[in-house]
Amino acid sequence: MKLKLALPVAAILAVSAGSAIAADSSDPIIIPVHNWSSQIVMSHVVGQIFQSIGDNVEYVTTDSQAVYESIRLGDVSLELEVWEGAFGASYTAALEKGGIHEAGNHNAVTREDWWYPLWTKEACPGLPDWEALNACAAKFATPETGDKGRFLGGPVDWLKHDQERVDALGMNFVVVNAGSAAALWAEIGAAEKDKKPIVLFNWTPNFAEAVWPGEFVEFPKWVDGCNEDPKVGPKPDVTYDCGNPANGYLKIAAWDGMEKKWPDAYKVLTKISFTNPQIAQMAKLVDVDDMEPEEAAATWLEENQDVWKGWVN
Amino acid sequence: MTTQTPVISCANVWKLFGPHPKKYLANMPAGRSFDDIRKDGYIAGVRDVSVDINRGEMLVVMGLSGSGKSTLVRCFSRLHEITGGTIEVDGQDIMALNDRDLIELRRNKMGMVFQSFGLLPHRTVLENVAFPLEMRGQDRHDRRERALEVIKLVGLEGREEYFPRELSGGQQQRVGIARSLAIEPDIWFLDEPFSALDPLIRREMQDEFLRLQEMLGKTIVFITHDFDEALRLADRIAIMKDGAIEQCDTPDQIVLNPATPYVRKFTEDIEKSRVVHARVLATPMNGHIPDGTPIRAGATILQLARQLVNETREELPVANGNGELIGILNRQEALDVLLGEG
Amino acid sequence: MAVAQTNVAVPAPTLTRMRVAQILLAAAVLLAAARPVLPEFLIRVPEWAVLPYNVWMQALFDFIKDDLGLIHLTRGISAVLEVLLDITANLLYGKHRWPFFEPIPWTAIAAGAAVIGYWLGGWRLAAVAGGTFVWVALIGQWNLAMQTMSVIVVAAPVAFLLGLLLGIAAWKSSRFERFLAPILSILQTLPFFTYLLPAVIFFKVGPTAGCVATIVYAIPPMVLMTTLGLKKVSPEVVEAGNMAGSTRWQMLRHVYLPAARTEILVGVNQVIMLCLAMVVLTAFIGMPGLGAKLLSLMNSLKLGRSFEIGVTIVLIAVTLDRLSKAWVVKQPEHFERGTSWAARHKYLVGGIAAFAAFYVLAQFVQVADHITRKQELSMGSEIDDVIRAALANDTVTAVTGWLRWFLITWVLIPFRNALLWLPTPSVLLAIAAAGYAVGGRKSALTVLAFFGIVALTGWWDRSIITLYAVVCAVILAMLIGLPLGIAAARNPRWANPILLACDTMQTFPSFIYLIPAIMLFSVNDVAVVFAILIFATVPLTRYTIEGMRAVPEELIEAADMAGASRNQKLMKVQLPLALPTMAVGFNQAIMFAFFMVIIAAFIGTQDLGQELQRTLAGNDLGKNFVLGMCVSLMALTFNHIIMRWSNDRRKALGVG
Repeated sequence: MKLKLALPVAAILAVSAGSAIAADSSDPIIIPVHNWSSQIVMSHVVGQIFQSIGDNVEYVTTDSQAVYESIRLGDVSLELEVWEGAFGASYTAALEKGGIHEAGNHNAVTREDWWYPLWTKEACPGLPDWEALNACAAKFATPETGDKGRFLGGPVDWLKHDQERVDALGMNFVVVNAGSAAALWAEIGAAEKDKKPIVLFNWTPNFAEAVWPGEFVEFPKWVDGCNEDPKVGPKPDVTYDCGNPANGYLKIAAWDGMEKKWPDAYKVLTKISFTNPQIAQMAKLVDVDDMEPEEAAATWLEENQDVWKGWVN
Repeated sequence: MTTQTPVISCANVWKLFGPHPKKYLANMPAGRSFDDIRKDGYIAGVRDVSVDINRGEMLVVMGLSGSGKSTLVRCFSRLHEITGGTIEVDGQDIMALNDRDLIELRRNKMGMVFQSFGLLPHRTVLENVAFPLEMRGQDRHDRRERALEVIKLVGLEGREEYFPRELSGGQQQRVGIARSLAIEPDIWFLDEPFSALDPLIRREMQDEFLRLQEMLGKTIVFITHDFDEALRLADRIAIMKDGAIEQCDTPDQIVLNPATPYVRKFTEDIEKSRVVHARVLATPMNGHIPDGTPIRAGATILQLARQLVNETREELPVANGNGELIGILNRQEALDVLLGEG
Repeated sequence: MAVAQTNVAVPAPTLTRMRVAQILLAAAVLLAAARPVLPEFLIRVPEWAVLPYNVWMQALFDFIKDDLGLIHLTRGISAVLEVLLDITANLLYGKHRWPFFEPIPWTAIAAGAAVIGYWLGGWRLAAVAGGTFVWVALIGQWNLAMQTMSVIVVAAPVAFLLGLLLGIAAWKSSRFERFLAPILSILQTLPFFTYLLPAVIFFKVGPTAGCVATIVYAIPPMVLMTTLGLKKVSPEVVEAGNMAGSTRWQMLRHVYLPAARTEILVGVNQVIMLCLAMVVLTAFIGMPGLGAKLLSLMNSLKLGRSFEIGVTIVLIAVTLDRLSKAWVVKQPEHFERGTSWAARHKYLVGGIAAFAAFYVLAQFVQVADHITRKQELSMGSEIDDVIRAALANDTVTAVTGWLRWFLITWVLIPFRNALLWLPTPSVLLAIAAAGYAVGGRKSALTVLAFFGIVALTGWWDRSIITLYAVVCAVILAMLIGLPLGIAAARNPRWANPILLACDTMQTFPSFIYLIPAIMLFSVNDVAVVFAILIFATVPLTRYTIEGMRAVPEELIEAADMAGASRNQKLMKVQLPLALPTMAVGFNQAIMFAFFMVIIAAFIGTQDLGQELQRTLAGNDLGKNFVLGMCVSLMALTFNHIIMRWSNDRRKALGVG
């Protein structure tokens, strides 16, 4: 029964799909999504742009580190948010192996580092300087960390080097890893009520800065090689004796085969560039306004036609 | 009659359960009892059994549970591999058969009925009965025809499409019987077929069984733990204890001359006159022919009771079914049996 | 002679067994007491003795994967699976793959499900099956649910087939069974992270890997049930088959498998339930569907929507469970001769007709085809608002704040530090003592080997932290679950609702419990323990109720006639007899706790789960496997000791 009814439909679909876009393959473009909102919404924004030019799109949830290996193999087609601080290493490693290349660069700077909401400054006025933070470490103590301060890190699979930095700089802090981004926001929310001092991992662009104004802790400036060469950085004998890059890149990566397989989509991809406020807006639609990612993407596209229409034509 | 080769002939059959039965049996000193063997860590299922079963004969194997009767009958069809001795079926050593020939033997010569019926729960009556035919690859149409025929024979017409669980116990056993008869076996094994049934149904099924046997005349090995049932059905009874046959004889002989104390215990409470036939008590005539009408050789003493009590003659002629005189019945002897003093 | 000897010897070992256990325990205490003067190598396994198992495992995996070319085989398998998954994905939610149909309208599926429900279990099941799909559509989760279903309809049959084949092989060859048994018990206790990474590496990221992990996870009970069912086939049925002259293949096909139908179908039921449980978890390796949605909701702490998804999963689980269980008890019924084909297949005809009718309807009526976002009835954000308001309440925060402070400062941290302070050999001896007490030398050596391996991997401290969270949570769960179970068992009106609640809580996707835990206690061990506690209370309550209910009625009456008071009856009759069953619940609580403590890595822990989560980011299969084995071995230790005790106790009491 269903065969009889569905066959003509399928046939018509196949024909129309084939004729509408002459160049791009009808195979779906596979867009990876990860576990933070801006990336999810941006993936859907771009996905919907691709769909508007007649491509098929599929979203797969992948690990944000392992994704570069998948792109190299062509299992997924592109990555819309390559954060220098977080994924620079994995990305560079994949670039060296080949199969992946840079397809664009957002007009945005990224930064991921120790961060505090503004009320923390009342308890520790010397902030944002890291030595001042270290001096009032006891103010950040919790039952589980004893008299040392607690730094709440991101999930371990984000592969941050907070512990190494604490060791390198001899800080009076204990690194406690939250299991998910949600846990981070829950902690800020809990601390907000009685304005408890808190220092935790955060990043920009991110919706959080709109909800809870705050600042990054200023560590010794990032210098290339600080994470590998002990001689680099203020302390001559240790690595990680510096902060993360303060203005990291946010790039777009693509599989080498993409240009050939979906030339039209690829052309659009190379033109794409979002700014910090645009990215924060995308995250906010989901994190604050409680939209579903697809819905948020549609809303964003609707409200920002002047931004993206130009890329398509 | 007697010169004919037996259908099943077994000699010195042993079946031991345990870690290395063959090796143990080979080295076992003679005369070890059931308990001795058990102390050595083996269970003697069948102990040195020799018995022949003739064509058309119904041998009833009687014993309490654990006496080895079920084990013995399973040796006959090689459902159990025996440890020692030989079993021949139609003159062929069944232990020498390979898998294929064994399957052929079962497919064509043997049928078996089980105590708990052993029906396949997912098949209808018809499909259960046709199962052995299906196994030997008969085509669908033939199968169905033959199955319907046997179903009719056991009186289950109209129930062909039922599933076993939709039938009563008696009906289920009729299916079991029908299935065992479907291939027209020469040899019919029945392993306590009526034990799981209510007493009334059991009686009815026994009658039914006798009717079938009269019609089909198969060679039968029938197992039971019920002495009355054995007496009722058997041509010969083999009484088993601890894996060995205590006595194997006709019902009349067993009640009249129990060979061992164990057998005697069974016969004690039996009303002998119901079992003993005139034929058995008859002595040779030696040329002397008593007067008057002869009595039937096939009648039991109980059936003759009224006549025996009222009779005036001391010696009565006994005639077989064809009216030929076969011997003389001593009235006093018969009365002793009747009064339980024989 | 041999028999007589063992008979005489029986009482003697029980005496010495307790004695040996006591000696072992005393040694453990002595070692602990002497810790300050112990040399370093007696406190922890020294560095040099920790062998690089992860490197070896990695090398082994690499060897299997690359040198033996297993990767080509697995990629081949994954290609086949992918085709199947693409077909179901296309049919169920219109993924752009061959055969390029439009997705089947939700009304048609709901109608089909209802007819199947009616066939198997009458109106009630029809309502459950049809209603579930109506709910899924109306709440706006149709596509997500179909993404999940599209994997289950592939994974469950494959798991069924493989399980059946392995089960038959294990039944045929006892040597194969002995080889398979330990693998199956390890598979059943292995943390799911350990299923996921190899699946990704061998089978590509995405639905295929998720499908493989799901299949592997669902196979063990199918194997066990198949073997059990085949072994249970009545010997007379087997003999009947033999006497009919069946060949070996005929025996299997026509006698054994049909006669073992009930057990095999119970296995099918288990396969379906485990598939559903696992397919949600495979969201961690990129499986789309309900699990992925749940994961992203968890990342934004949206309890309302998560709860709705939880309800959907429970409903789907209930439907599949009831349908498959109804199938188990469904016996064939006869038709009178001469019944027409249509009448004999009226459900099939009816099902196809209903399906087709709605299919056609959906071509013209949009609502019958799919529910748009504007039409759905989700209350997720409203529920969220209520919950947030409730949590912001000062009393609530004061209570949770105090609880958090109290538990961390006075209970959890001291306990954890105490466990970490104990010298490794002392813990090993204590475990061995427990093993000896329940099962003599063999058990003692088994559990010692299990924990010894954990110590030798060098992950001792993290293992102990894992253990600490499990033990804390299970003890707290007992404080809640046992009284609840006893109260429920004594009041029949409460028993059924509480059992129902247990079922529901257990079917809820486990990581939903992380959300309230984080919301109430934020990132610390209290939240971890709380999340485990919710999950572990379920089996404790359930088995307490069941154990108490299974106490024979005559015994209760006897106690009544002896003039026992309610409490005497409880303490002297019901509890002692229910104890073996309760121990099974206790065992399951521990197994659940080990499962949950790994998931709790998403709150933030310092245990094996955290390390496992870290391995998911890379390709470190060796380390992943070593960590997984640590969890598995600890769980198996508890499993061995408790089940051994429970079984012996049951035998001693003559119950079951």
